[in-house]
Amino acid sequence: MKSYISILFILFMSCVRSDSNDQTMQVQGFVPIYASRQVVNTIATEAARSTVRSGKIYAYGNYLFQVEQNEGIHIIDNSNPQQAKKIAFLKVPMASEIAIKEDHLYTNNLSDILVFNLASISSPKLVHRIPDAFPVIDQTFPPFDNTAFECADSTKGVVIGWESKMITNPKCRR
Amino acid sequence: MKLSLSLILIILLFSCAKQSADGNAFANPTGQGGSLARFTIVGNYLYTVDREDLKVFDISNAAQPVFKRKVPVGFEIETIFPFKDKLFIGSTSVVHIFSIADPSLPQKLSVAISPTVIRRCDPVVAKDTVAFATLRANGPCGGTGSILAVYDIKDITNPVQRGQYPVSEPYGLGYSDNVLYVADRIRGLMVFDISKPYTPVFLRALTNVNPIDVIPFGNVLIVWTNLGMNLYDISNKQNPVLLTQIN
Repeated sequence: MKSYISILFILFMSCVRSDSNDQTMQVQGFVPIYASRQVVNTIATEAARSTVRSGKIYAYGNYLFQVEQNEGIHIIDNSNPQQAKKIAFLKVPMASEIAIKEDHLYTNNLSDILVFNLASISSPKLVHRIPDAFPVIDQTFPPFDNTAFECADSTKGVVIGWESKMITNPKCRR
Repeated sequence: MKLSLSLILIILLFSCAKQSADGNAFANPTGQGGSLARFTIVGNYLYTVDREDLKVFDISNAAQPVFKRKVPVGFEIETIFPFKDKLFIGSTSVVHIFSIADPSLPQKLSVAISPTVIRRCDPVVAKDTVAFATLRANGPCGGTGSILAVYDIKDITNPVQRGQYPVSEPYGLGYSDNVLYVADRIRGLMVFDISKPYTPVFLRALTNVNPIDVIPFGNVLIVWTNLGMNLYDISNKQNPVLLTQIN
């Protein structure tokens, strides 16, 4: 536990500004991908749509679920598997996970855990949100060591990913 | 010592998959996921793994998860897999085993460092005292070739490999009765007879599909494909018949 915290501490400390370098320097590094908090938090039930980036699958009773990576969850009626068909799309930006117990679906909306009541299967009702319970995408630094990166700026929105790019005079490193 | 550590690791790498429970899925209060899950439900508890932590939520009231505790695990965590009263938590290089004898208070039992040949989390399913794992040796994994490996797990702290079968680029897997399905992105949906579990017999591969994971669910095999989802009738378990594609 202690060593874990020290390692974390070191990681944070390594993200320091070094403004002394006046020369323009291009290096390979990471830049944050931003989205507005409002866009990320917009949950909706929509008409069934085509699968573009197929994600994790889950089976529950007569229904199947498949994540559309980073977009939401396809809801599929499987009461007759020969004619299984999509019945709705649950828009949950940045979703990647699914688990279900007693008609309650747990998923993630970026780093929040959401609970939906499935009593009305084609329009799941959001009943609970646990903020910041599932931080898979780090909001403060990219998921690689020994790299330069553009410091995340919370005024630009929430960080929904990191993109590898040539960057000029990066102020942050880990 | 080194050898037994490696074997433990391999078992650990189970971590990546969910147990493929047979039986009447409709009677279960919880559903069934595929491999590579980061959420799993055991009884009244939801366990999640993010990049570094295992979190425990009491879901006795399903609508109102109550956060119980956060347990630091390590770095680059990828998957969680429940098996009996244990959780296997896989990362890109290390696997952690926790006991959930007290489900609200996971206790770390051990940690293992992955041998270089197995750099990634490799899905596994367990059946009674036997575990099946796909060990993918391509890409950063290096190694001598991907295999379907079969382990004796009578002693879960000391798994012993008893069999193997060469595969190409395997991801998820799951079984129904005596038939094992392996999602191999090069060879397709592979079907094995596992009546004698330590000597799996390759029966056939459905090659017109690019599968990533499977969930055997009663008489239907659910397959996550690159395009979406395929459903197969497995009333005859050895011979999956395509029912429909949901893309």
